[in-house]
Amino acid sequence: MPRKSALTPYLFLAPALIAIAVFVLYPIFAVVYYSFTDFDISTPPVWVGLKNYQHLFSEPLFGQALLHSFIYLIATPILIILSIALAIIVNRKLPGINFFRGLYYIPAISGSIAVGIIWRWLFDAQGGLLNGVLMWLGAIKEPVQWLTEPALTLPIAISLTVWMGVGYYMMVFLAGLQNIPEDLYDAAMIDGCNSWQKHLHVSIPGLRPQITLVAVISSLAAIEVYNEILVLFGQLGGILNSGVTMVFYLWREAFRLNHAGYASAIAIVLLVITLGFSILNMRLLERGSESD
Amino acid sequence: MRTKVLALLMLISFILAACAAPAAQPPPPTSAPVVQTQLVVQTQVIEKLVTPTPGPNPEAVIEGVEPNAEISLWTFYLSPWFDDYIKSTIARFEATYPGVKVNWEDHQATFLQDYRNAMAAGTAPDVANLSDTEGWVREFAAQGKLLSMSDNLPQSVIDQYFPGLFNLQTVGGKSYQVPWYQAIAIELINHQIYDKTGLKVEDFPKKYEDLPALCKTIKEKTGTLCDIRLTVTDLLRDMAYQGGVKVMSDDGKKFTFDSPEAVAWLQMYVDMVKNNLVDRNALMTTDDRVGLELFTSGHAAFYQTGPQLIRTVRTDNPGLYGYLDVAPLPDGKSGKTAPTSMAMSVKADTKYPKAALALAVFFTNPISQLEFAKIVSIYPSTPASYDDPFFSAKPVAIEDYAKPLAKELISKQADIMPEIPQPKDVNEIVLQAVQSALFGGVNPQKALTDAVNKANALIGQ
Repeated sequence: MPRKSALTPYLFLAPALIAIAVFVLYPIFAVVYYSFTDFDISTPPVWVGLKNYQHLFSEPLFGQALLHSFIYLIATPILIILSIALAIIVNRKLPGINFFRGLYYIPAISGSIAVGIIWRWLFDAQGGLLNGVLMWLGAIKEPVQWLTEPALTLPIAISLTVWMGVGYYMMVFLAGLQNIPEDLYDAAMIDGCNSWQKHLHVSIPGLRPQITLVAVISSLAAIEVYNEILVLFGQLGGILNSGVTMVFYLWREAFRLNHAGYASAIAIVLLVITLGFSILNMRLLERGSESD
Repeated sequence: MRTKVLALLMLISFILAACAAPAAQPPPPTSAPVVQTQLVVQTQVIEKLVTPTPGPNPEAVIEGVEPNAEISLWTFYLSPWFDDYIKSTIARFEATYPGVKVNWEDHQATFLQDYRNAMAAGTAPDVANLSDTEGWVREFAAQGKLLSMSDNLPQSVIDQYFPGLFNLQTVGGKSYQVPWYQAIAIELINHQIYDKTGLKVEDFPKKYEDLPALCKTIKEKTGTLCDIRLTVTDLLRDMAYQGGVKVMSDDGKKFTFDSPEAVAWLQMYVDMVKNNLVDRNALMTTDDRVGLELFTSGHAAFYQTGPQLIRTVRTDNPGLYGYLDVAPLPDGKSGKTAPTSMAMSVKADTKYPKAALALAVFFTNPISQLEFAKIVSIYPSTPASYDDPFFSAKPVAIEDYAKPLAKELISKQADIMPEIPQPKDVNEIVLQAVQSALFGGVNPQKALTDAVNKANALIGQ
């Protein structure tokens, strides 16, 4: 009887463990192995030792991709500020306010590919809405080729990420705002705070756990950005590699150039970076809950 | 003498009797009826069914096809527009080779990736419609993934194709594909924009080096940018055909694409970008649909495409269709036209090689290709198809512009590209060099020479 009861929990866990082993652990170990091989998917891998890592750390494009990924992190503070502002705006008991809450949330549930295509039309040189409006206003004399200006590649991609993410994070902060006791706002009002000071000294500190959560989630998403680059700028990742981020670089090496072994090495380095961010996440969350 | 006279008199009397007036009509019947007996001859037709002796099916050209073979076929971007044609051809094939079953799938934007993944997983189709133009055949043939057509087809079958097309994308001197439908590249003109330049269609440039002047005129008169696309997945091909550039040494061991001709070719595009004459997105995209969509939306004066894609304009922007015109493609300095070719290939490890070869050859035989050409403006790779009056008929719609000239134009298409070692990596090097010159301000000569050095180092030279 004791032996049977000791086995029972493992039997219940077995399906999930098998799924994790097959779909998570095995691919991770496979990628680690392939990162030490010359592998083009079509032919069997050939062991090359550390050659892929040596190539990776001497390749200028890797440094460029890493830099672009870190630049993309600027989306995080923009998202936080805009989301908090929107949450404050919609945190009112007004008729029809739910309509606006839903409206701001729609981008979050729209597919990134569909939104990316619309964004591409928006910025298109010859038929795009942006050029059309600017030329109608007389601000520009001839169309600007937004999508092929290397300096504008990342800002355009970031604008797409922000537009898509602001509604989702707004809901997170809205929930946080509704948990802040009303008494604190009353006390601030008695102390002579205006609206701006109330939010600065009551709302923002009260949203600290949510800010930490959003910062970590959005920064991890920024490091791993890929969809936006592909849809906006195609398989080249922007003119002069101006939009190539770490994950895009990985995809390009694996699926466009068939360097699966090298791409596996990129994946391992990306894993280490992401792990670092996750550890930072855990430390910040712990600190956040301690202060609560 | 007397006998001769008598005979002559008899002959004359016979002649006179024959020429005599018809005998007088018989008198009307009298009151008494006259019974006449007539001989009636009745002919009875008896139908007898005769089963003809079965003769050889002219389309059954492969012997030893495995009985009860079940094979798979992938096509590229043909469904749903050509479902009926594909299905009817498959039905005809299955009737020609009884017992063989074909499972058909169509793959579109992700075809190449799907095919690569399927090859890696061992689930690739027995027969696949691969693009010669994009270099797909050579990619997989070089890896030993395709069956050699040169070694496995009878000469009588090989002879049914234009030789220049059968020998596209060879590896080690052998062909790994049978050519299927061809496109003839043309310049599609949008009169709504083009006419504002004051030029006529006949004035469209005859040479590539005259395109910048046209783009400048278009920009000045209409404010529109030119919709020109570089083949970013095979830039050496553009260099060779357009610029007449010799990309490799004669022994095939060193790259040579930093010659004065190459620099001149690149400088042409650098100048167009610098003067803001071209849409950069269309210029540098890997997806030819980007340029086609730009033209279809009415934002380009002209676009280089195939007549078969005019249907896209007709479907997506019917209002533009009536303003279309066609001009011949400008000549490149090579004097040759690049083939725009689709092919059928068979995977090397197919379980049913004969059946798979039979399917590939069936889809690409003169009869099947003629039927396809009657549905859409593509052109067969088999000379025999052009004997049909369909190709000599006067063109009616704009899509048929190239029909009367097709046989001659297709027969002149040839592959002038050498076998490039590690083509994807070399193209990536060339792409970075071209971009640095076009957008990064790097001198074209320096960009190309650096690229040549990197490419030669890559192949160990």
